[in-house]
Amino acid sequence: MSEPALTDAQLIARAVIHDDRHAFSELVRRHQSAVRTTLRRLTMGNHALADDLAQETFLLAYRNLGSFRQEARFSTWLYRIATNAFLADARKRREEPLGDRDADVADGTAADAEPLDSGGPDPARAASLRLDMDRALAVLSEAERAAIVQCYHNDLSHEEAAQVLNCPVGTVKTHILRAKLKLKARLAAWAPL
Amino acid sequence: MTDRELHRTDTGDDWLDGLLRADGREHRAAYADDNGFTARLMAALPAPAALPAWRKPALAALWASAGIGIAVALPGAVFDVAHGMLRAILGQPVSFTGIAAAVAALGAATWAAAAIALRDD
Repeated sequence: MSEPALTDAQLIARAVIHDDRHAFSELVRRHQSAVRTTLRRLTMGNHALADDLAQETFLLAYRNLGSFRQEARFSTWLYRIATNAFLADARKRREEPLGDRDADVADGTAADAEPLDSGGPDPARAASLRLDMDRALAVLSEAERAAIVQCYHNDLSHEEAAQVLNCPVGTVKTHILRAKLKLKARLAAWAPL
Repeated sequence: MTDRELHRTDTGDDWLDGLLRADGREHRAAYADDNGFTARLMAALPAPAALPAWRKPALAALWASAGIGIAVALPGAVFDVAHGMLRAILGQPVSFTGIAAAVAALGAATWAAAAIALRDD
């Protein structure tokens, strides 16, 4: 009979108390996909940057694992670190010329152009919607995009998103509302007649 | 209505919510293959904090000197404590030979325990 899989809490305890790196690597293996896909979304499909930020996220998590109080889910804690890493990087990049970032976004959009389940059977329509959605998300501020990604892509509640984004729940709601107004204008062509 | 449902409908734009929901479902269904990510990350972790090589001998010497110091400072105390303990345990008067044998056994056990505790992992 195979040994039952350890919970995140058990793995964290092993990693903290015994500096068990095998336990930590299991945690990374479990959560790497969620963290990396979230960062890919936040960075508008820039896979290289997303992986750099994901690595930074897990290194920070490793250093601060002892301070994780289990008040939230481990994944929520990781999202918080990842979002902070993304926002800090975005602040640094804001001073750089926009040319490279636009190229990254364009590359990412092409790389991520997988069929979107838009409710219709037409793959061309789905691909077109996916492209428009990526472009629309690109016009949001980093904070607005982070709020949309946490609430819609990671399916977090407003309270959980507020924990991740380290801001009051009201601020999350404001970011979502503003983001939706911008998305509505950008995606108007997809509105039903 | 749960909060999760609320944040999708509070603008009344159901079509936009539908698009975002579909995008979110696709995002959650997507799986990023590890492709060596975990291995690269584990290699980038800081090296485990290694204790300096001189720590164990220094610790052993410190304890030994402390023990000798106590024995020299209180020459009668060790004998009196051992005598009292043996009397309490055995419930009868004990001879000096008996105490010496017990102290020797206790010392051997201590040395064995110290050897196990200070062995290389």
